[in-house]
Parts: sequence; structure tokens; C-alpha cells
Amino acid sequence: MRNFFSLINNEQIKLYSRFSTWSMYIILAGIILASGLITFFFSDGLEEYGDNWREELQAKNEEYLEMQAEDEVFGDLYAYDIAKNEYYLENDIKPLSYDAWQFALENAGLTMLVSLFTIIVAASIVSSEFKWGTIKLLLIRPISRGKILWTKYVNVLIFSISMLIFSFLINLIIGAILFGINGLSPNIVIEGANGFEQVSVVSEILTKYGLNMVNLIIMATFAFMISTLFRNNSMAIGLAIFLMFAGDIIVSFLSKYDWAKFILFANTNLNQYMGNQSPVIDGMTLGFSITVLVVYYIIFLLVSWLSFTRRDVAGH
Amino acid sequence: MQPAMQLKNVNKSIGKKKIIKDLSFEIYPGEVFGFLGPNGAGKTTTIRMMVGLMKISAGDILINGVSVSKNYKQAVRQVGAIVENPEMYPFMSGWKNLKHFARMIPGITDERIKEVIALVGLEKAIHEKVGKYSLGMRQRIGVAQALLHNPSILILDEPTNGLDPAGIREIRQYIRKLAEEENVAVIVSSHLLSEIELMCDRIGIIKNGELVTVEKVADESNEDQDLQVLIEVSPIDTAVKVIEDAFNISASIEENKLAIKTKKEIIPQIIQELVKHQLEIYEVVTNNASLEDKFFEMIGENTIA
Repeated sequence: MRNFFSLINNEQIKLYSRFSTWSMYIILAGIILASGLITFFFSDGLEEYGDNWREELQAKNEEYLEMQAEDEVFGDLYAYDIAKNEYYLENDIKPLSYDAWQFALENAGLTMLVSLFTIIVAASIVSSEFKWGTIKLLLIRPISRGKILWTKYVNVLIFSISMLIFSFLINLIIGAILFGINGLSPNIVIEGANGFEQVSVVSEILTKYGLNMVNLIIMATFAFMISTLFRNNSMAIGLAIFLMFAGDIIVSFLSKYDWAKFILFANTNLNQYMGNQSPVIDGMTLGFSITVLVVYYIIFLLVSWLSFTRRDVAGH
Repeated sequence: MQPAMQLKNVNKSIGKKKIIKDLSFEIYPGEVFGFLGPNGAGKTTTIRMMVGLMKISAGDILINGVSVSKNYKQAVRQVGAIVENPEMYPFMSGWKNLKHFARMIPGITDERIKEVIALVGLEKAIHEKVGKYSLGMRQRIGVAQALLHNPSILILDEPTNGLDPAGIREIRQYIRKLAEEENVAVIVSSHLLSEIELMCDRIGIIKNGELVTVEKVADESNEDQDLQVLIEVSPIDTAVKVIEDAFNISASIEENKLAIKTKKEIIPQIIQELVKHQLEIYEVVTNNASLEDKFFEMIGENTIA
């Protein structure tokens, strides 16, 4: 075990000794800051409600109804806001002002960026050793190849989790500076499977980040497998990122066939089972998707392991 | 004495092609063993099998009696190696690189790391990034990582590659030192005889994946062997005659020098004979040509077989 931690330590040192790793954190923080500034200066949905918020909401809804009637094309867009305001009034909940928590929730989509960076790390962690030639020095130590591979994989997971936590904290900090913060865990109103409901913002954030994490880990494991198999990081990065973005297109293209539900990308987005969304292909359930994901995951790890432990390390 | 490393009918095939055929030899503690052959003869493949980077198709390699294929971790614990180029993480300092490899084997203290750095003479540059190192410094840091865990066998694949003459001389000196003072068995591969015959006790010659011969490198005390003696003498024609008359050996003229094949103990008598006839001697050179002759005879002039 002591040995295992030394190996993890080694991998972390190697990872953070390179500027490219730090630049990922800098880019992520920069994008969050930019999104905060854009919301701060250009968004008009940031009004705060005073003590007579009931009148304010009613006035707003009347205004929306008027606009809905006038605008034939996009009028329906106001329906969501009207329904939400009515929910506030019916349940006598004072709308919260926009704050750091809601900023963090809105930016849950930025885990896509965390996925991207994790894929880059996963794709290069094994193949870089081959590129540098250091794989020969790693593998001639009294440590089994399986253990070396395992510590590298665990290191990828540690990286993705640290980056996710970093992204969440930066969201909170920038959000708190720009918009303030409404207590430790305020309740917000969102549209769930059965209409509007009031939920704790923290649990909502955890769900969103957690579900995106599934996609992240599967794609990172895929990149890790390609990288171990072909010992080439550009190929692994390219293929994994291409599939991450093209996955949805491939699925929608093939969705008329029943077997399309077994395609990895039909299942990676677990958000499809949340709220009022419907699955990509009819008849898919959360349990089904999880089973498919687990099978793919095991195959990816197994292929990496077999390729890494069995194959000769030959010359360039 | 138990061999430090023993190869037993080692074979390696890739696909249908046999690239190593029935290789068997032993290396003993305290010995420097030269592994010589032209490029592509299978030296690096053999070395990769010794350290477990490649699987052995048939046969076995024993390290201090422990099989590499059956008990890899215990066997490789005894080995330090540089396979091909001494590659390290270029973005980390020499010290961080050594720390990295030290963490992979329990029980290596910072004192030991410093000791190894001193041995290879890298104290000054140890906190610089390896990416900035010259090839010679990289060879040294490579040797340092191989020595960290006090191995009883040191494997160096082409250690003189790309080094200048001073660097080659230095490598040669500490390889000899390790073998003589620490009783380490050192395996050095090369495709150049001239580079390794000066540091090795024995040389194994490999060609097309087969061991051609294992030769003891003749040292000065070996008096039984015929030496090639070249004497720059004037007038040379008289000298040829004098030698042929006085000794029962044949003399010839090579590049304006008198060339004789004879035993070491005869050389003083030849010189006395030449002086007695008042011939002018400018230079007497001996060289042990037998190994080089053998090498070329076996490998052929065209080394890319």
C-alpha cells in the first residue's frame, strides 16, 4: 500500500511539473470569470424583489401575457416564466435574487471543459511515457505492470475530481463576488418531472455535476484505453474528443434502429432521465443505461490492462 | 561461483521470424561483459528480455538464480539498466527524476541518491532540468538511476553512443571501478569493438541473433598469444633480412613499417638484433590484432548484415 501511494505521488508530481497542466486550470478559471462578467453586465434577469414582491410578480406576469399575445412566433417562450412566477405566488415563496449558487448551477455545463482536459490527461498519461522513452525505466522496477497502469488510471480520476472541485469553488467565489450569496444552502424553484418544485440548490448542483461526471469518466477511460492500445496520445485525444462531440449526432442518426440504444453515446447523458426530458430512444430506462455504461467501462479497462501487461515494449 | 546472470537457450520470435536463436552464456560478479554485434544483430532485444520489457519465447534468463519469466519482481530487483538512450523526464530536474525512480523501490534514502550523484559527478547540474542536459550528462544521470538501488547487475545498452572521447573514457573508468570495487557484474553492449575492448573482461559476439563466440580479452600478462609488432626502422629492406636471418619468423613490409607476428618475450631480442646491426629504430608498436581479426572474420566487412 505504501508503495501504491508513492506511485500515485510520482504521477501527481509528473503531472503538475508541467505548465500545460496548470494552463488547464488557468483556462477554466478564465472562462468562468468571463461567463460571470457577461452575466453581470449583459443579463437582465437579475432584478431583486423587495417587500412587495407579490405585486411585482403579478405586474411582471401581466407584462409577459401582453407580450405573449403580441408576439405570435416567439410568444410561447414567455410561458415558462409565467408558470414559474405563478408557482411563486401560489406557494407564497419569495423569489431569490440571482446568486453564487445559481451561477454555479448554470455553469454545470462547463464540466464539458473539465471532461476535455481530463481526456487530454488520460490520453497522454500512458503514451507520453512511450514518447519520452521513460516507459522502459518505469517497467524495469520491481513493480508489476498492472500496478503501474492502475496508479496511472487512479491519477486520472484524481485529476478530474480536483478539477471538478476547482471549477465548483471558482464558480462560487466569482459568483459570490459578482452576485453575492444567499446563505449556505438556499432553496430554489426549478421545473422537475412533475412541474415546478422547490429544491435545495446544493443537492441540485451535486446532481448536475455528478451526472456530468459519469460522461467525463467514461470518455476519460475511453481515451485512456486508446492511449494504452496505440501508445499514441494525439490519436487518443483526437478520437475521444471527436466521439465526445459527435456522439450525439451519431446516435440521432441511428436512432431509428432499435439496436442504437446499445451505443455508448445514447447512454452517457444521464440528464435525459432527469426533469421532464425524454430519453433519446423510446423504452430506455436509467437502469438500462447504467448497465450499458458499466459494461463499456469494464471493457475499456480490461482492454487497457491486457494491452499494457501482455505486450512487449519494443523499440521505436 | 553462481553466475550473476545466466541465459539458457534463449529464443525470441516475432511472428514467424526468429530474431534470437538459442542464446546461452553466463556473466559473473565483478566481471565486465561486452555484448558486441552489428546493428540489428539482436543486442537490444536480448537486453530487453533480460529486464523483462520483452517476453522470452523459449528458454530462460536467471538473475542470481531467479528466473526473469517466472519471478520477475524478485529477479529485476537485482538489476539496474539503461535500455537504448538514457531517457528521463525532460521537464523535471535531475534530482526530481532520481527521487521519482527512488520512490519506486522501498528503502532508497536521500543520502543514497546524493552518493550516486557524487559517483557520476553530477553535483553541479543536479537541480537543472534534464531537458537542458548534454548527451554526456544524460548518460551520467542514466547511470545514476540504474545504480540507485545497489544492483548486483548493471546493464548498459550502448553507453558510449554520442559521447565525446573524454566522456567515453570517463564511462570506461567508472564501469571498471564498479566491477572491481563493488563486485557488480556489468553488461555493456556496443557495435564498435574498439570502444568496449578496453573496458571488458570478456566479449560475446552476436550476429543475426546467434552467439558466434565468447572471447576473453587478452591483457598484457597473456604471453602465449601472438602479437602483431610494427617497427618503423630504416633502412627497412636490411631490417627484413636481419630479422629473417636471426629468427625463424617471417617479416613483411606494411605501410613502410616492418610487420612481424611473434610472442611478447621475443620483442626485446628483435630490438637488440636490430640495434646490433646499427639500424635506426623510430617506433615500435604492438597490437593484439587477434580479437579484431576475429570480429571482422565473423561479422564480415559489411556490418549491416
